[in-house]
Order: sequence, then structure tokens, then C-alpha cells
Amino acid sequence: MTYFPEEVVEHIFDFVGSHRDRNTVSTVCKAWYQVERLSRRTVFVGNCYAIGPERVMARFPGIKSLSVKGKPHFADFNLVPYDWGGFALPWIVAAARLCPGLEELRLKRMVVTDDGLELLARSFPNFKSLVLISCEGFSTDGLATIATYCRGLRELDLQENEVEDHGCQWLSFFPDSCTSLVSLNFGCLKGEVNGGALERLVARCPNLRSLKLSPAVSVESLNKILARASHLVDLGTGSFAVDHRTDVYHMLMNSFPKFKSLRNLSGFWDASPCCLRAVYPVCTSLTVLNLSYAPAIQGDDLIKIICLCFKLQKLWVLDSIGDKGLAVVASTCKELQELRVFPCDIYGAGTTSVTEEGLLAVSSGCPKLNSLLYFCYQMTNAALITIAKNCPHFTRFRLCILDPGKPDPVTDQPLDEGFGAIVRSCKNLRRLSLSGRLTDQVFLYIGMYAERLEMLSIAFAGDSDKGMIYVLNGCKNLRKLEIRDCPFGDIALLKNVAKYETMRSLWMSSCDITLGGCKALAAKMPRLNVEIINENEETYEFEENLSDLHKLEKIYVYRTVAGPRNDAPDFVWTL
Amino acid sequence: MELELGLALPGGDLIAELGLASEKRTSTCRKRGFDDMFYGATSPPLFVHKDGDDDDGDDDDSRFNHLQELNLGSRVLVGWPPVRVSRRKGEEGGKRRVNCVKVNMEGVAIGRKVDLSLHDSYQALFLTLSQMFPKKQHDGEESDAAFYKVTYEDEDGDWMLVGDVPWEAFIQSVKRLKILN
Repeated sequence: MTYFPEEVVEHIFDFVGSHRDRNTVSTVCKAWYQVERLSRRTVFVGNCYAIGPERVMARFPGIKSLSVKGKPHFADFNLVPYDWGGFALPWIVAAARLCPGLEELRLKRMVVTDDGLELLARSFPNFKSLVLISCEGFSTDGLATIATYCRGLRELDLQENEVEDHGCQWLSFFPDSCTSLVSLNFGCLKGEVNGGALERLVARCPNLRSLKLSPAVSVESLNKILARASHLVDLGTGSFAVDHRTDVYHMLMNSFPKFKSLRNLSGFWDASPCCLRAVYPVCTSLTVLNLSYAPAIQGDDLIKIICLCFKLQKLWVLDSIGDKGLAVVASTCKELQELRVFPCDIYGAGTTSVTEEGLLAVSSGCPKLNSLLYFCYQMTNAALITIAKNCPHFTRFRLCILDPGKPDPVTDQPLDEGFGAIVRSCKNLRRLSLSGRLTDQVFLYIGMYAERLEMLSIAFAGDSDKGMIYVLNGCKNLRKLEIRDCPFGDIALLKNVAKYETMRSLWMSSCDITLGGCKALAAKMPRLNVEIINENEETYEFEENLSDLHKLEKIYVYRTVAGPRNDAPDFVWTL
Repeated sequence: MELELGLALPGGDLIAELGLASEKRTSTCRKRGFDDMFYGATSPPLFVHKDGDDDDGDDDDSRFNHLQELNLGSRVLVGWPPVRVSRRKGEEGGKRRVNCVKVNMEGVAIGRKVDLSLHDSYQALFLTLSQMFPKKQHDGEESDAAFYKVTYEDEDGDWMLVGDVPWEAFIQSVKRLKILN
């Protein structure tokens, strides 16, 4: 490689796209390392505590796009305490100082403050895209500073964030000169929205292709917006329920036919069945439909709309669709790749819900299905085995049987064989979530067959340490392992400690891990942070009174080159 | 319905291969008999706790029954089902604001913390407390949660008996809890 001048090597590297490949390329020799680091434009940091921000920015001064993730996945389900960590500010500060050319920032499960947003807004003259997913800690004031200072902003995408409402005026802070927006998503905001400001903003952004509104945006406002945004490809409605005897309703019915490019529909917050009819004219070209926030749309109305969506590739619905509705999906949506069925009624057994029959139908009718999230009340081994045969292309298979530890209702057997069939058949499986009654056997299968598996989520499963050991000894591509309420203890934790350095992280809660086990792990593996999250104990008691036999409620273990973090709250101890 | 399911490797005992301690499992291809201890006639509605030991307690009846009682529709299981907070019905404003108070038991050195926002009634709270501070009688059984005397310190600094005021008023004013022996 000394034959080629740097510019040529750099040009070749332009074709090396994926992060992994670029990482590999940089390890070949010093020259390549240098060329690669200076020409790198995108960096993805899967765990914000695995490396310090300054180190990343110093190595890659030319990055235009940065993506960082903070809290462990189980934070989505309230298993991680509110103030555990994952602060965005150090990353924004470092980037402001070392990478002023930054154009895109994508943060997931991090704590972002208004100060951070303001610093972001003021520090990067070419800033184009901000994507915040499942973040918290900021308010609409922070959004106002983004609107004010990010000239040329193209994308503001807020998904599932906890945003404090400090008033509706933030939209008015987009200056009249702002005409560059391509994508605007504020569906997660709870507060009032200034309809007029929104309508004017949409009207002056001719390149707007994706618009997702919050529940506070009225149908009336939507009508006005739709009148001026006929090039939209991706629409998330605001509120979607009005009386059918009103003018607003009639206008809504006439708003959609002219949309030639619309492909994605979502929102439908509390949509009513009669309003849903408004979108029928566009259904035949839809590729993505998300009705999972519309509990008032019951099975029959869902069927009416799905019947029209024969080009659908992605469908998110509530389990009110029922097995009957899923059969319609199976016969209509031959292009379907991703299906998510969410539970309507979490705490009781719903009258309409889905069972293994629905999933069987879809697996048989939709040969392209590769991604699944399915909440149901029961599943059988026989069904899973058939599903595995029908759909060998699953890359993501997440099954949640709502009753923890529930066996196959027909045979009373655990679901080991069913999930075993899935991992054996789906050679490209990257993500798997298990549920139902499961013994160590299923983990034996996973360890043996799930070679491409990167993320595994386990709850209320297994009989002994062996289960976890099978997984750690197999699954050579495992990156994230999250476990809750399983009988795995120190023996499993310590059996294959080297494995954790090949993984991003391990989460274990309500298992049988002891303080002594964690101490041993930390002692053997200095390049891991072994965090103990102990919300229940008095801080001062910990050092003196807790023996090594004390069982730990929550642990989070991750590889890092940054050492123990200095922003951990009182109840988090890094051993 | 008989299921003939075979996913084992063509030959050999995998467990021996993996060098793991063997027990009764000599074949990876078998119909596993079910431990009737756990499932008996009726499935538990929401919550089953599995013992970590391999010789699963045939004697574990009492523990299991106790745990069955725990599930009375109150939210003892955190984060289950694994659904994002934004999808949960009836929880306004997304993430629930935690309401943690310290709990001490007379004579016990280590205190605990309980998140009151996860409970919707005194019954739910007592069940959690009985889990945190199990009382052992001489025959090893855990005592009824109703036998606890729990007091709380309210916002005025006074110690009151838990259960006298409506639940909503209680959670507004409680600062910490103490269980009397």
C-alpha cells in the first residue's frame, strides 16, 4: 500500500461504507489508519460510556455525522432508574470544540438538556439534521433555539422523547427565511401547537417530504397543511377524530386523493373509524402504515383499510386486529416485510386479541416477512415450527407472550422446540426476544444455531446457570445480552468472562448474581465497567454491611476504554 | 397431541461435548416432562418465579402459593409486558414520575426504598413490603402481610399508622415508612 498515494487510498475508502469495514481497514497499518481517520465522515458510538467523546473527535476530526446511544434498552420499560446517566452534553461540547463541521447528530436514550440544544444550535454552522429518539431532559425552549439558530436545518426528528412543555411558540422561532426543511417530526410533544405557525412553516418549505404531527394538532389544521403539502411522502397525522357532520370532516375526506407520492402513514392518535375513511384513496400506494395508536379502530374497520393496502411493506397495529384481521393481512399484503402487533389492553385478557393462528397465517401468506414484534396471549411449539419453515428470512424475531412463563397451551410443554426451530431455520437472525415457559434447552439451541445473533432479550426463562452459559459459549456475534428474572447466577456470569469484551453490554436484573460474583468479574476484566445499580439500599450501608453473598438487583456490564465513568449517581457503583 | 420434535445433532451427547456438568439430561432430543408443581391445574395469571436450583423444590408449594397471591392485578412486575411507556393506557404524560420513599424495619440494619408510583393501593404496597421484609415464623412459612404494622412519617413530621387515610392522600404526604416488629 505504499504504492498508492494517499488520495487514491482515500478514494478507495469512499467505497468502504459500513462502520465495521472501516474499523477493520483502519487496523491494517499506520498509513491506512491515518487516511481512514481523516476521511471518516460518519461515526456510530453504540455505548456512550465505552469511549470518551474527546477521543472520538480527536481521532475523527472530519466527521459530519455522529450517532450516540446512552441508556440500556431496558430503560424503555422503566427498569433503569431515571437519573442513571447517558448525558449528551459532553458529546456536544467536544464536537463543538473539535468537529465544527458536524452536520448530523443522532442520539438515542440520552439525557439532553436545553443548554445542550442551545450549544448545539450555535456551534455548527452547517448543521442539517437532529434526530432524538427516546431522549429526555429538554423542553420546547430547547427546540426554539434549534429553530432559531440552525440555518439550513433539513431534519428535526423527535421520536418517543419526554419533552417538557414550555409553550407552543417554538415553531414560530423558525425564521421566515427557513425554507429548507425536508423532515419534521414532533409527534411526541404533549403540549399545544401553534397551528398558524405550523401551517406557514409547511407552506414555505417546498422540499418537505416527511411531516409527523403531535396529537394536539387539530384536524382543521391538518386540512390546511395538507392543502399546501401535496408532495409529502411520509405523513403522521395529528388528532384524527371529528364529528362526521362537520365541514371539517368533509374537507378531510377530500384532502387525500390528490397525494400522489404519499407512501407512509402514521399518527392517527385516537382516530375514529369514520375519519379513517379519509385515507382510503391513498391506501393502494402505501408501503408503511402505523395504526398502533388508534385503539378505537376495531377489527372490522382495520380489515376494511388493510384490504386496500396491497403494497404494504411495514404494518404496525394493535392486537384488536385479531387473528381474523391478520388472515386478511396474509391474503392482501404480499410485500409485507415487517409486522408489529402491540397489546391494546395490557392488564387483562382482551376479548379480541391475537394468538398463534394470526401469526401462522401471516407467515404463510407473506413470504418476505423478515421482522416481527408480536404480543400475544399464547403460542404453541407447532405454530413456531411451521412459522420457522415458512419464514426462514427473519432477521428480527421478537415474541412476547404476555403471561410470563406460559407454556404451550395445547401440550403444556415449554416453548424450547419452537424457538429452537426459529434459530435453526433463520440463519440471518440478528435479534431475538424470547418469552413463555422456557428451560435451559432453548439456550442450548440458541448457542448452537444462532450464529448471526447480535441481540438477545430473555425474561422469566431458564432453569439454571447452564442456560446462560450455552449462550455465552455459542453466539459468536452476540453484542447485547439483556436478561431479567432468570435463575442465572455467579457461575454463569463468570464462566466465560472473555466473552464480555467481544460484546457491547450485558444487563441482568432480578437474577441470582451476587456482589462477590461481580467483584470477581471486575477483578478479572479490568476493561469492563461492572456497574451495580442499587436503588433500594441506603448508600452508607453498602460499604460496611453488605457481604459478598448479597444478591444484586440490577447489574450492567460493558466494555470500555474510558474507565469508570465520573458522572454516575449515588446508587450506581462501578466496581 | 404428541409432538415428535428432533433438533439434536446427528450424533453424540452435546452436553458432554461442551464439557458441562451432566445431570439427568442425556439427550437433547426428548419430550420434556413438565413439572406439575409449577403449573398444576391453572396457570398463574401473571407472575411465576423460578427457583434457581436444579433440584427444583417439590417442597416449594408454599412459596409458590404465596407468589401466586402476589398477583392481584396490582403492578408488582416492573416493566412487564415490555411495552414503552408511551403505549401504556391511562398513564398520562409518558414516563411516570417516580415516588421513592425509604423503608426501614425495626431492628433491621439495612433499609430499602419503595417506589410508590408503582402501586395503586395499600394492599399492593403491603405485598411489596412483605416481599422486601419477609417475616419468618418458626415453621419457615412467611407470614400474612396483613400482620404488619406499618407507620409513616407525613409532611408535618408526624408518625401515623399506614392505612387510615385514602390512598391518594397518603401518597401525597408520605415521606418515609417504618415497619414495626
